[in-house]
Amino acid sequence: MSTFATAAGLRSQTRMGHRIRVLAGVLITLIFLFPVFWMVLTSFKHQVDIFTTPPKFFFTPTFATYVEYFRRADIERRLINTVIVAAGSGLLSIVVGTMAGYALARIRLRGAATFGVLILLSRGVPPIALAVPMFLVARQLGLTDKHITLILAYSTFLIPYVMWLMRSFFISLPPELEESAMIDGCSRYGAFFKIILPISLPGLISTLIFSMILAWEELLFALVLTNRVASTIPVAIAGIAGDTINGANWGALTAVGTITVVPVVIFALLVQKWLIRGLADGATKG
Amino acid sequence: MMPSIVLLLITLAYPIFYTINISFTEFDLSTFGAGEWVGWSNYEEVLSDYRFWDALQVTLVYLVIALPLQIVLGFSIAFLINAEWSGRGAVRALFIIPMVVAPVVAGGIWRMILDPLWGLMNHALQTIGIGPLDWFGDPHLAMAAVIIIDTWRWTPFIVLIATAALLALPKDVFEAAKIDGAGWWATLWSVALPLLVPIIAATFVIRWLGAVKMFDIVLAATYGGPGKATNVINLFIYEEAFRSLRFAESSAMAVIVLVLTMILTGVFLYGSRKLEEQF
Repeated sequence: MSTFATAAGLRSQTRMGHRIRVLAGVLITLIFLFPVFWMVLTSFKHQVDIFTTPPKFFFTPTFATYVEYFRRADIERRLINTVIVAAGSGLLSIVVGTMAGYALARIRLRGAATFGVLILLSRGVPPIALAVPMFLVARQLGLTDKHITLILAYSTFLIPYVMWLMRSFFISLPPELEESAMIDGCSRYGAFFKIILPISLPGLISTLIFSMILAWEELLFALVLTNRVASTIPVAIAGIAGDTINGANWGALTAVGTITVVPVVIFALLVQKWLIRGLADGATKG
Repeated sequence: MMPSIVLLLITLAYPIFYTINISFTEFDLSTFGAGEWVGWSNYEEVLSDYRFWDALQVTLVYLVIALPLQIVLGFSIAFLINAEWSGRGAVRALFIIPMVVAPVVAGGIWRMILDPLWGLMNHALQTIGIGPLDWFGDPHLAMAAVIIIDTWRWTPFIVLIATAALLALPKDVFEAAKIDGAGWWATLWSVALPLLVPIIAATFVIRWLGAVKMFDIVLAATYGGPGKATNVINLFIYEEAFRSLRFAESSAMAVIVLVLTMILTGVFLYGSRKLEEQF
């Protein structure tokens, strides 16, 4: 066999391999997307089209579930609550966490390294170890079922998260940026607000959005710290899914599920480029 | 820096001390606060409670199967979907969708898909001659279901990290391997894998930190059932505290779990640092 023939054979073999790789990738993506597709599809079915053998892919779509269930289960108020809590805890954590992340990245402080390790460890604290005392203290102070309680509870995991991401982001910026500003007479705070913040804006916004998503989905604290007034959407979904008395209400489950997932998917797609970078930095650096 | 320390002290450190405090007392249900100091007796009670050990074992089984499965799947899929072609960007973007589906929603929709009677999964399996499988009635299948749901929800997260890692691999090393006549397998095994080991280790730590919090998916999909077959530790403690109102005992359990998690996290962090140095 000549050298030429071997090279050509190898090339066609790798091209074949490439095609298989692309095809397998697309197939797996479709499999992973299917449950979400099925949820959205089911939410537009009439009750009679949901429970069929075989399951139906084609049917006359309807908004009936949305209209009927939303009136009954107070979904509107829960939706507003979830938005308030997600936005509140996201904003609080981004303000506090960004400044702390900057301090960790730049200012030589005694104990900064220890504090950094503690922050990372704090991400391993099981929420249930916090939920019990939070419930008891909130009860004592008359703070159960209030938005502010949930916002503070969520900051326990959001602040460390923001700190960690923003710290690695600030480390990647050249220190000369602030140094030259400080030589020109800016204070450390001035340099931070005038120079660093504007550059970091895209990263900040993406971190903020991702923090809000985490708060938006949270279940345990919401379950424990709210009951009616400030209750959120995930609590409602847990209630529908776990309803063993009335049986599975798949229409309601998929309708509320769709409402919960669609806005988040849109946001996530908007920031996905940054997400890849941010996650990888958070995972590999430090 | 200061505001974050103060806030974290209030919302993180104070509750942990509160939990530790309660775990050493007899909880007073009339005042809803810590009662008389009883030393280690709550811990003795918890440690002799077989249900606590069962829940720990269930959690361990879940972790031991789900974590490696998700890491291997995540890195393999990342390799597949990063093949260069015109649709790569779109595929990569679409692949992050499951990871922003709220875990409780994931549990709910999979409960519907895996439903033994009307679910799509059993219908599909029957067309190829398997089943019907009683996903939520059989203890092993229920655990499998929980792991499937968790893997569906979390693998995209690992794919995302793996994608960034794969893109950051130095290209010239691979070209050199090709010129030296290394085959596909040899390239993967002795060139790519050693380069990826530190990132795989770091990914493992990150995923571990999430997986020990397993709660939402189980709550929505099986609620720990059938029997206690999927009753992970977080759900067990939750039930003990908020259904049985045994706050002192559940605090003791929470402290034990906290300590276990911290020790293991420390070990994993140390291990991943060591691996990073070696490669």
